[in-house]
Amino acid sequence: MADAAMPRYSTRVPVDFVVIGSGAAGGIVAKELSSAGLSVVVLEQGPYLKAQDFTHDEWAYNHNEELVWGRRKGHPQTFRRSADEKARVVDGAVLSYAHNVGGSSVHFSGNFWRLRPIDFHEASEVGLIPGTTLADWPLSYEELEPYYTRVDWEIGVSGLAGPWDPPRSRGYPCKPMPVKSSGVLLERGAKALGWTAYPAPVAILSEAHNGRPPCIHCGFCNGFGCEINAKSSSMATMIPLALASGHCELRTGCTAARIETDENGRVTEVAYWEADGTLQAQRAKAVVLCANGAETPRLLFLSESARMPDGLANSSGMVGQNLMFNGSSRVVGLFEHEVNAHKSIATTRVVHDFYTIDRKHGFYGGGGIDERSISAGRPLQAALGGSIFGSSHWGSEFKRNLALEFTHTASFNGHCTSLPLASNNVTLDPDVKDTWGRPALRTTFMNHPDDFATMKFFMERSVEMMEAVGALKIDSSYNQTGQTGGVHLLGTCRMGNDPASSVVDRFNRSHDVENLFIVDGSSMVTSGRGQPTMTIMALAFRAADHIIAAARRGDI
Amino acid sequence: MLPTLNRRRFLLRAGFFSAQFTLLTSTALTLAGAAARAEDLGQTSATFTTLNATEAAGLLAIAARILPEDDAGPGAVSGGVIYFIDRVLGSSRQEWLGLLREGLLELDAQAVSRYGSTRFSTLDSAQQDALLRAIEDTEFFVTLRTLTMAGMFALPEYGGNHHHAGYTLIGFGHQHAWQPPFGHYDADYMARGE
Repeated sequence: MADAAMPRYSTRVPVDFVVIGSGAAGGIVAKELSSAGLSVVVLEQGPYLKAQDFTHDEWAYNHNEELVWGRRKGHPQTFRRSADEKARVVDGAVLSYAHNVGGSSVHFSGNFWRLRPIDFHEASEVGLIPGTTLADWPLSYEELEPYYTRVDWEIGVSGLAGPWDPPRSRGYPCKPMPVKSSGVLLERGAKALGWTAYPAPVAILSEAHNGRPPCIHCGFCNGFGCEINAKSSSMATMIPLALASGHCELRTGCTAARIETDENGRVTEVAYWEADGTLQAQRAKAVVLCANGAETPRLLFLSESARMPDGLANSSGMVGQNLMFNGSSRVVGLFEHEVNAHKSIATTRVVHDFYTIDRKHGFYGGGGIDERSISAGRPLQAALGGSIFGSSHWGSEFKRNLALEFTHTASFNGHCTSLPLASNNVTLDPDVKDTWGRPALRTTFMNHPDDFATMKFFMERSVEMMEAVGALKIDSSYNQTGQTGGVHLLGTCRMGNDPASSVVDRFNRSHDVENLFIVDGSSMVTSGRGQPTMTIMALAFRAADHIIAAARRGDI
Repeated sequence: MLPTLNRRRFLLRAGFFSAQFTLLTSTALTLAGAAARAEDLGQTSATFTTLNATEAAGLLAIAARILPEDDAGPGAVSGGVIYFIDRVLGSSRQEWLGLLREGLLELDAQAVSRYGSTRFSTLDSAQQDALLRAIEDTEFFVTLRTLTMAGMFALPEYGGNHHHAGYTLIGFGHQHAWQPPFGHYDADYMARGE
């Protein structure tokens, strides 16, 4: 590690905090705690890849699992629809996240929608929805707003404040990203129908900010690490500050095995494997678990003890439960002229006129529609996906269709609610093991009927916009058989005021274990409308404030 | 979306033919063409590390129907996809080698039984397409299609995508940075001052 200020802490002397995971939440927590002078060891199972390490290598990232590990990397996952089925190993990952410093904030699309006031009290607003575990958050939008603003400015977000935005105390630090042709088409389609497409807020710099340069629109964005640090990942924004504090040691290639507790039920140390398999254990006064909505519950299950046989911090039984992904729909239009949606960032315009769908439709849900490339801008993915409007996936006709579709299409994508259900969860697979001998992540998931209705609703609105803007051909789809995985890993250690029905309190502290904090997508009580990272980061800033205050008053 | 893989269906049929089939080993015309082109273009030498010459010729003959050379742009031959395929079958995709070898034997056997030819690679393109159309749902074909696309569109460092043939085919500009306008509609948007 070239970072000169980085300390080396003894594993046998308790540090103030071990932070498990260096992603969207862990990076912020590490930076905040270490900048406050608290000693921090960050355990990250992946490598420390920096801007100069990233390439436009689809084969490596999307097929050889170099960022998102799965079966090929010794980390198989299993999936089933319901508890009475035997889960089967899938190719790749069910619960998909990047294994590197910065986590999935490195390869994400950077869509930075805030939640809105309604998201925090939906259950009270809409009442009981049969079959769901919908609940209010133990905090309000107003309480989180200052932290959203900190994300805007400390992480770096480009956008345009306006009547489409939820209430904000300060404008965006960077102007909106330049609109793409696909964004123009969405905007014109929305306008023709009386709706509003506004500049998509993104964690990608449109102008220099905090010493980082603006985006060069290379197109290899969603699914790739940024080669110039214009993408506002934890890796690019927070980790360097944490390391510069002189109080943060980053240990990469280190996989947490177990969180140890003493006879009083307090966390004492974190056992972990180094890259070569050596087992170590770092003593700590407290632990902040930021391993994401999949790995956080797995580690809690693996940290069971005689006192806590169902898993650490799991007296509620809510660890691993209420898994949510966000629903989606896709409508592709073919246009007369070049769209070139593969250039620049993933999306530049978003429609939020249906943030909450009128309940007269007979179901509950909401979301937004933005514009995308058919293949996240990737040539190989476009080719592998086959022709959208042609009948063959090979041969001369396919070649002509592929060339036309790659440059002349725009996709209007719906992103929407995923209702929390008691039957959707992450558990330990009883048979399949990973490279460390740990039980594989087992996902059990089937969408609620309202999720399907919501996805269909957004598909239909997207079709209307495609028609309004003159698409020559239109192809529309949503997942009608149920989602089989996701990249938004939400709800699996939900926060709440009642220890009987939630895992962490309103400040992300475990109800059961007073020196254990959990901050990541697992804290989210509801799914929002499709882009959770902004909220995960805001929660991390907020939790860190309270952790620091608690540490200073001796209350951990 | 592509059809579900069905290896079993293909291998069952493969078993029917493979017992009495003998491999011929001369180099096919398509392979010679690719090798010559690769040399012409100063690309990697036309040697294979995983496949033998007959296997390479057979797989390339199929790849050349999946992405043919035509007036729409470069195909699998000029893209050098067989070199990509040879490389990954010896490294990250070793588990696919057996499937492809068996499938190739099956296809050659069909060339013999249906057309009285010696091998798939010596059939004319209409005959080849007819045979491939009949197996396009099999795991063999889907796997080879995946490798053909990867050989055409993955970075040239992996041995294929010669001279960015794949990028040329789909109009993907190979450059590191862009500035707006990115397409027709944002140029028009700016021109109109929308």
